[in-house]
Amino acid sequence: MAKKPGPKPGSKPSKLSVYLYIPNIIGYTRVLLNCYAFHVCFTNKILFSILYFFSFVCDAVDGWAARKFNQVSTFGAVLDMVTDRISTACLLVVLSQVYKPGLIFLSLLALDIASHWLQMYSTFLMGKTSHKDVKDSSNWLFKLYYGNRMFMAYCCVSCEVLYLILFYLSENHTETLMDVLATNLQKISIVSFLIATSFVGCTIKQLTNVIQLKTAADACVLYDINKKQKQ
Amino acid sequence: MVTDRISTACLLVVLSQVYKPGLVFLSLLALDIASHWLQMYSTFLMGKASHKDVKDSSNWLFRLYYGNRMFMAYCCVSCEVLYLILFYLSENHTEKLTDVLATNLQKISILSFLIATSLVGCTIKQLTNVIQLKTAADACVLYDIDKKHKQ
Repeated sequence: MAKKPGPKPGSKPSKLSVYLYIPNIIGYTRVLLNCYAFHVCFTNKILFSILYFFSFVCDAVDGWAARKFNQVSTFGAVLDMVTDRISTACLLVVLSQVYKPGLIFLSLLALDIASHWLQMYSTFLMGKTSHKDVKDSSNWLFKLYYGNRMFMAYCCVSCEVLYLILFYLSENHTETLMDVLATNLQKISIVSFLIATSFVGCTIKQLTNVIQLKTAADACVLYDINKKQKQ
Repeated sequence: MVTDRISTACLLVVLSQVYKPGLVFLSLLALDIASHWLQMYSTFLMGKASHKDVKDSSNWLFRLYYGNRMFMAYCCVSCEVLYLILFYLSENHTEKLTDVLATNLQKISILSFLIATSLVGCTIKQLTNVIQLKTAADACVLYDIDKKHKQ
């Protein structure tokens, strides 16, 4: 009896093989790290910070791994994006519990979800490959943010660093955010330097989110207008 | 869509503050965002007009959910009603969720009826969210596989 032939070169990979891509496995690890991190966040702040930050580092690693092992996948990109959104959301939820006014962090959560969602939607409508390809935008902050990958990385990392520092600094469950910021910025220390620089980066990121929201909403509107015009 | 997601998210955040274990509501938040995000993404990849058009799915719960608009409405409304009732019933800031549910379900009242029916609908919605997550992930994987195959 003839031996069953193995997979021919160029034949369809199975779904399972894509789910088992190395960068996707790193992605699942990120999810597990985040689950465990938030499980211990109130009982062991240092462990939480380490796990959360490590998961953030894995975010960069899985992109590198995907390119290195030629295992780039759409599923991997979505997994990455959704994990980012949810881990940031959970950290903001926790911050809204330990700081007053909690509404600040709820608003940041809303802005994060809304701006990324709308941007992804409009990216699809316009057929762009990535929401990070914004060559035709007229807004200067936009061009600065997206044109320079190091600057964008600084802003994104700043948000996570600021949120982590704020969580680490929280002593009891109803601190006023302004007090904690003012107290820690007045001391001259590494922490105050980190807070100051990450605060700047985080603010820029939030401003970019707002502009993103507007640009993406415009794109949705223009899509309809163009579609009607072509009919 | 975005208003839906964010308003539900904020209600779940509030519930996670007034109930123990708060992690239950955080998980519901994560599931809501993840399932809707992935479903929207895969809908775009497959070029479908709406994520509510799922004629070709083989899962029975899926077909029941999406096939019958009244049933889908019941499940969606159930979630919001359940969350609202739970919030309304919360007295102080560290109640145990199971205690509150048990106490209120034991009384025979309109409220316990509402809790029971919305709990059923909400559970079905969450199950559908999980299935949605899997189906949409598969769609993303198949998209790449098909694209490579055509090359």
